[in-house]
This record gives sequence, C-alpha cells and structure tokens, in this order.
Amino acid sequence: MKRILLQDTNGSLKKELRDFYVSLNSYLRDNGLTDKAQVVVVSNIGVYDKGIVAKVIPEGFVYINLQNASIPDIVQKTILNGEKIEGLVFDKKNKQMRLVLRNCGIIDPESIDDYIAHDGYQGLANALAMGPERVIEEMKRAGLRGRGGAGFPTWMKWNITRGVKGDEKYIICNGDEGDPGAYMDRSVLEGDPHSVIEGMVIGGFAMAAKHGIFYIRAEYPLAVERIQKAIDVCYTKGLLGKDIFGSGFDFDIEIRLGAGAFVCGEETALIASVEGLRGYPRPRPPFPSIKGLWGKPTAINNVETLANVPYIFLKGGEAFGKIGTEGSKGTKVFALTGKVKNSGLVEVPMGTTLREIVFDIGGGVLDNRAIKAIQTGGPSGGVIPEQFFDTPVEYESLQKLGSIMGSGGMIVMDENDCMVDISKFYLGFCVDESCGKCVPCRLGGTQMLHILKKISEGNGDLEDMVKLNQIAQAMQKASLCGLGQTAANPVLSTMKYFDDEYKAHIIDKKCPSGKCASLVSYGINKDRCTACGLCVRNCPVKAISGDRQSKYTIDMAKCIGCGNCYEVCKCSAVVRQ
Amino acid sequence: MAMTRDELNKLKQEAQSKSPRNWIRVGYSTCGVAAGAKEVLEVLTEEVQARNMDVVVKKCGCVGLCSAEPMVEVNIEGAPRVFYGKVNKEVAHRIMDEHVCQKRLVENHIYEI
Repeated sequence: MKRILLQDTNGSLKKELRDFYVSLNSYLRDNGLTDKAQVVVVSNIGVYDKGIVAKVIPEGFVYINLQNASIPDIVQKTILNGEKIEGLVFDKKNKQMRLVLRNCGIIDPESIDDYIAHDGYQGLANALAMGPERVIEEMKRAGLRGRGGAGFPTWMKWNITRGVKGDEKYIICNGDEGDPGAYMDRSVLEGDPHSVIEGMVIGGFAMAAKHGIFYIRAEYPLAVERIQKAIDVCYTKGLLGKDIFGSGFDFDIEIRLGAGAFVCGEETALIASVEGLRGYPRPRPPFPSIKGLWGKPTAINNVETLANVPYIFLKGGEAFGKIGTEGSKGTKVFALTGKVKNSGLVEVPMGTTLREIVFDIGGGVLDNRAIKAIQTGGPSGGVIPEQFFDTPVEYESLQKLGSIMGSGGMIVMDENDCMVDISKFYLGFCVDESCGKCVPCRLGGTQMLHILKKISEGNGDLEDMVKLNQIAQAMQKASLCGLGQTAANPVLSTMKYFDDEYKAHIIDKKCPSGKCASLVSYGINKDRCTACGLCVRNCPVKAISGDRQSKYTIDMAKCIGCGNCYEVCKCSAVVRQ
Repeated sequence: MAMTRDELNKLKQEAQSKSPRNWIRVGYSTCGVAAGAKEVLEVLTEEVQARNMDVVVKKCGCVGLCSAEPMVEVNIEGAPRVFYGKVNKEVAHRIMDEHVCQKRLVENHIYEI
C-alpha cells in the first residue's frame, strides 16, 4: 500500500487543505482504490510556502502547489503506476549533513555494541595503527578547527602539546557549555557518548597524553551519567586502560564536574577549577598547550571537536577536508532557537547561508512575523541583521559582521524583539557571570549595564552611546579573558546595525518593539472591544477593570507593561503607544 | 585484557547480525525526557510485552527536532519508516494499534527530518 502524506504545519487544516484531503479520499473511495493508498495528514514534510504539499511514499516524490484538479493524475500516474509527475514535483534538497550527529537518535547511547555496530572504535584502531605523527598529519589534512568558538586548528593545538617535552600530559574535553540557548554539546554527550571518548583517546595518542578528563557542567546529569557508563564499559572491554589495541598506548579517563560558573568554560579558569581552585582565569601565555593542568602540557578540546575526530580516522582526512569551505572545513551543529518554527539542532556543512538555516531548515519565523536579526555566538557574539542573511557561515565571515561562530547558539529574533533589551539581556548575563578578577570586565560591564538600563527607561542621552563605545573598547583591549573581551560584542553589534532603535529610545523616548516597559503604555479602544475578557484573565497584576457591559479599562498606575493583554487580544482593541 | 582489531570486527559483525527487523526508537535525551519520553517509553514497552510482539523498543539520543519532542521512530515491516513527534501516552497507544498492528500511519504526528 502506498501512502500520501499531506503537510499541515500549523495543525489547523486550513480550508483549501481540508478540501483537498476530502476530495482525494473521495476519489480513492469512488474508484475503489482505498486499499492502494492511505492518505495521512502529517505535521511536517520540510517544504515551506509552497501551497499544498504532498509526499508519496515509497517513491518519495514531493508534489507542491497542489489543486484538486491534480488529484486524478496523482492517483492514476503515481499511485497506480509509480510515475513521477514532472509538472508538480519539487526537488527537495536536504541541506543538513549529519557528521557529528551521525549516531544521535540512531544508536542506543548506553550500548557499546550498538556504537561498535555503527563503525565505533574503528577510527581509533586506524589511528593507533598509523602512529602519532601520521595522526597529526591526517588531522592537518582534514583541516578541523576548534568548535568551541575560537576556531583554532586542532592539529596545531595537538602538535604544540606533542612537541613539549614531558612525561605527563593531559587532554581535557570542555563540556562546560553555558551560552544561553546552546545545547549541542549536551546532545552529543547524551546521544553518542562513545564518539567523544573515541576522539579523546585518538587525541591523547597523538600527543602522548595518558590522561583524559571530561569537564562537564553539573547541570547536565544525564550527560554525566551516560559518559560515566560509557567509560566504565570501555574499561571492561579493554578500550581504555593498558595497551589499547595492542599498541602499547595506555589511556585513562575521568570526569570532573563544573559547579555552574560560566567563566569555567574559559580554558585557564577550567584548569583552575579541575585543580580544585577557584575558577579564575589567568593571563596567557603561557598557553595551556605548554603549561596547563598541574603545570603540565594540556590540550583542551570542545565536545563537538572531539566528536568529529573518529569520523576523520574512519573516512580519512581528505574526505573530511572536502566538506565545507576553503578556510572552514567540515560541518557545524547549531542550536536553532528563538522565534523559529522548528527549533532544535541542525547540522550543516560550513558555507551554508544563514537564510538557508533559518528558512529552509528552520521553516521560517513563528507566526509568520517579520524577521529582524539572528544572534550567533551567545554572549560573546553579536546580532546579524537581515541584509547579511546570505552570508555563508564560516569562522571569518561571521567575524567580519561583528559576530562570531561561537559554540553554535543561533537565536532568531523577530520584529517584537527590542535590540536595546537584547543587548541588556546578554550584557546582564556577562555581568552576572563575570568572576570579578580583572577591573575592565568587573566595572566596565556593570557601568555599561547601568547605561543600557537608563536608555531602556527613557532617561538616556546621545552622549551615552559614545560612552558605551568607549567602555566597550576598553573592555575588549584590557580584559583578562575571553569573557570580558567579548562581553560588549552584543552591545556593539546592535548599536552598529540598529542605531535607529537606540535613537528612538533616547530621542523619541519610544521603544519601537514595545518591549521596554517604561516606554510603552497600553489602552483599550472601546469601539473595537468585544468584552471577551481575555485581557482581564491574562493580566498578572489585575490592572484591568470593568465588566461586559461597561467594557474594560487599563489602570496605568498598576500596569507593569508586560504586554500580555496586547498579545492575547483577538480584536486588536488593546493599543500600544 | 586489551581488545584486538579482530575482536572489534567480530563484535561489530555480531552486533550487526543481531539488529532487529522491527524496532521502535524513543528519543531519550534531556529534551525528550523533559517533554515526557519516560511515559511514552513505558507505554510502548508494556504494549509490546502485553501483545507479545516481535518488536524491539529502545532508547536513543536526540534526533534534533527538539520542538517536537518526544520523538518516536517506528520501523515495522509492511509500513514505511517514519518519525512521530509530540507523542504522548495516547499517541503511543495509537502508534501500537494503528501503525504496528494495522500498518496504517497515525495522522497528525509525522515529522520529516
């Protein structure tokens, strides 16, 4: 039996789709063909803004912009004869490429047999047979760069650590993922723990490090549990411990938990935290590759970086190097969140454009609102406005736009998001998480936040924007670690691209998006009000009074400007000024 | 007792030969669990046992469509392999009745990834 899948993305069966569904079923029934095909309404086929979309299984033809008139053709040609109808078919390209997430959602993360059945530990066996020099050469050929944000070539990091003399070296997996909205590393640790372990053993072998440490934040209990289980079973199978694959290479792994400080994702603070000290960063150089944990050479790699490594040694560095662009090889996993229809994890080859990620994969903006910007790189990144959405995603191209690739958070913002409010949020995050060791970050961040609050309350003046710029530059130049150096990026990039929004707050004392509570006021237009009472029920501070006869009014003395009434009103009676 | 390359390959073959014909995978990472994957897994496991069917129900990681969790992937002979999203107890029962038993796809919950 064939299946005809009909896409209904918002779950409400709009009239045209309902008609089509009914007509298709009647046609099948009238022609006695109900046993030939089942018509199924589905939530998503992954094709957007193309009218009525259907997919025929098992052929996999995707038909778009369907009309009732095409029903006989679809049934007679495709259902009965398996023919493709050229006039209707849509060539749906899968823009995703699963390399890091190759096993996520496919294998049982708690079963090593399942991992081994999917080529697990084959890459390790290959690497150990090659010898350390050739492992580094292979990594160089692959061109893998660090996925934690900075994009330092992984082979170079390993090679530096390898070149330092010393009998004790360490490799640390940085699983202290803390950017708001980013959770790629958690998913990899939870969904495919063995791949990260395998990558770590290969790294250890390349630089003759015998100890590996997983530094995972304590807020990820399931990730910790699965990594621990995976480590334990590796010991029993002889994949960790002494003489792995008879190569004479010994390797041990242990887990250390992060205690909730964002700054401990910075490598020198992370090392201090592993050593049992307060999570303070220290000036570099010396870099951890030369003098790291316990003063010994230490390579620190991100979870996603290590998850790439087994693939490289399974398929070869050259094959990996063919994916992506000249300067940025391979794929990148993004946590696509915010005002996007399909939020979740996406993995795309480097060089895919932001527009493809948000619209073709993410399905576009929620409620079909206008998109304003995309935020990448979390609190160290910046916002990218719509005119740059066709930029291919690469380390350098995003940096040029004043943002960064970062660890992979990607937050979609629509017309209802206020850029002053957004920069206040990110800066507030960094101020909370600043360790307080160096003055530029500790005081600079706080002062900038004060100014932003002033602007969002309508008390700012144009001089404040100059001050924001000055403090931001001082923080970038003088802060001790990456947290302070990049904390001002969201403010700088919003000021660069959304200068008019800042000026609206400062000069007109208005918040164009209606987010800054002090700058908006709400009222009810009694001519439009149908007295449904929705606003009353959704007001958290009981600022709306009245009844069905006299209709409703908002008491601005009580109103906190949350905008709930405005959002819920179905007849546009609540007005925002 | 280190493993040799040959032993690894033998393990791989054994594991591959044991892979079941009919299976149901439940996304069981933090995103899935938070959305209710635990009770979905329980319902599916109980149903398979109660009906004494040749279907393996197993946990897996997150496939990526976190907004549609809990996700369940179903591969049963005689019906196409599909992902169901936003699965709750009731949908889990329907998957067993309609998809697994009658080989008919369940409406309104299929997602393509």
